[in-house]
Amino acid sequence: MPSGAEIVERLKSEAGVLSAGVERERKVSAAIESAAIQNIAQTLFNSGARFVIIAAADKGLDIDLLYHFDLGGTLIVLQTSVAKEAPEIESIAELVPAAEWAEKEVAELFGVNFRGHPKPGHFQLPDDWPTGDYPLGKPFKPKLPDEICPVAESITSVGATAPLTPLMQRKREEAGLPAQPPASYSDEASLREVHELARYTEFDKLAGYDWKKKKLRGSR
Amino acid sequence: MKKYAVFLGCLIPQRLPSVELAARKVFELTNIEAVDLEGYTCCPDPILARLMDRKMGLSLAARNLSLAEKLGLDLVVLCNGCYETLFEGNESLKHEPELRREVNETLARIGRSYEGKIDVNHVVEVLYEDVGIERIKKLVRRPIRAKLVIHPGCHLFREHEGVDIWRKIRQLEELVLATGAEVVHSKLDRLCCGFPTMAVNEELALKQNLQPKLECYQHAGVDGVVVCCPACGVQFETGQVLLRKYGARFNIPCLHVVELLALAFGVPARELALGFHRSPVPQLAAKVVGDV
Repeated sequence: MPSGAEIVERLKSEAGVLSAGVERERKVSAAIESAAIQNIAQTLFNSGARFVIIAAADKGLDIDLLYHFDLGGTLIVLQTSVAKEAPEIESIAELVPAAEWAEKEVAELFGVNFRGHPKPGHFQLPDDWPTGDYPLGKPFKPKLPDEICPVAESITSVGATAPLTPLMQRKREEAGLPAQPPASYSDEASLREVHELARYTEFDKLAGYDWKKKKLRGSR
Repeated sequence: MKKYAVFLGCLIPQRLPSVELAARKVFELTNIEAVDLEGYTCCPDPILARLMDRKMGLSLAARNLSLAEKLGLDLVVLCNGCYETLFEGNESLKHEPELRREVNETLARIGRSYEGKIDVNHVVEVLYEDVGIERIKKLVRRPIRAKLVIHPGCHLFREHEGVDIWRKIRQLEELVLATGAEVVHSKLDRLCCGFPTMAVNEELALKQNLQPKLECYQHAGVDGVVVCCPACGVQFETGQVLLRKYGARFNIPCLHVVELLALAFGVPARELALGFHRSPVPQLAAKVVGDV
């Protein structure tokens, strides 16, 4: 049977594996892109790995999915996540039949849609359980406290605690000041630096900043 | 002529541009050359933003410091919150080489670096130490005939190790006295205005911090409150408006020390755009210097 280090090397050669390492003796962990789950599960299955379970954790903005496999006594955990705006991932139940009920359980308790699941539907909750109510789901909100979110959003987007309103810009001019002060939001190059810092420090991830919408995901 | 890079922060340009105007006038009249810090960001704010994430907070502070270092200038700051963030960030980066290395690794991503070669100064100490009280007194054209209380704010107490934390607070009082004003002391001078608590619990901030202070000032019959921080200023002004919904009514003017100095130096009130205030500062100016 391959050693943990050999499993890591094999995983690293797969497309969609973001990182992999031996966490401790007989345990390997890998972070993967959600789109790669079928290919990687197939590779492991072909290597003789045994499916164990899927664990899930609602992290506020995303749902973490932890696919557990066993290969000759070494536990392999593939960690991926799905955004709660569209919590979907390809089902591996056609490749790994044992995953069928585990996916149904996660679907029912967290609201994850396993695309292509052979037998979707009710699993373990009472028959009269309301549709769309996921008992292990948490509110859709960033990790930061609600009170801090507006400041986090503004600092990430414009580099200031609040954007300068058009009304205030006009009033500044009337008072004999430039419409905008020499701040980062008045200068594209400076703003790019702020955005680069937010990305590099991963503050954008902590705050759950959506770069396309220019606002925090799930904030009020 | 002393030369500084001036850090305006977020609140002054957005909420109290009259402080920006007054600071520019005061710097000009006291022969201090204030160079704009082009492309600066939030300091970041010491209560909410800085504590959200240390790496991002320090990186933004270091970037601001690096902008001034590139100009070869020390910073002058008009806000207590900006002062605390930049002062403490600067101290850490100057004295912790490993931290400076880490932060510079981040700054390198945007083509910047900070070597710890500049100092961060509050406007109070710049006016007191570089200009001096005697010169300030000579510049006074219209003595302020008013009974004023000083709210120094919490973050002004930040000091270099071993230095008396009341140093800048005494300097602030001497600056106010130099304008000819009478300074009234209150037993609640050291109580926070409540600004940082507002985001979390407005009622608590207003009733347990601001209201007792205002009651104290009203009882003492003060003409106004002098601050050296726009956050405290916003809290005193907006707070008085918000307190009405809790049945408490106050109408006490609150102004920044640079606005007080500008008025005392003879700058016409209309040039200071005091109408930005949400407390009766224009009325105070009319009363104490006969100007509108």
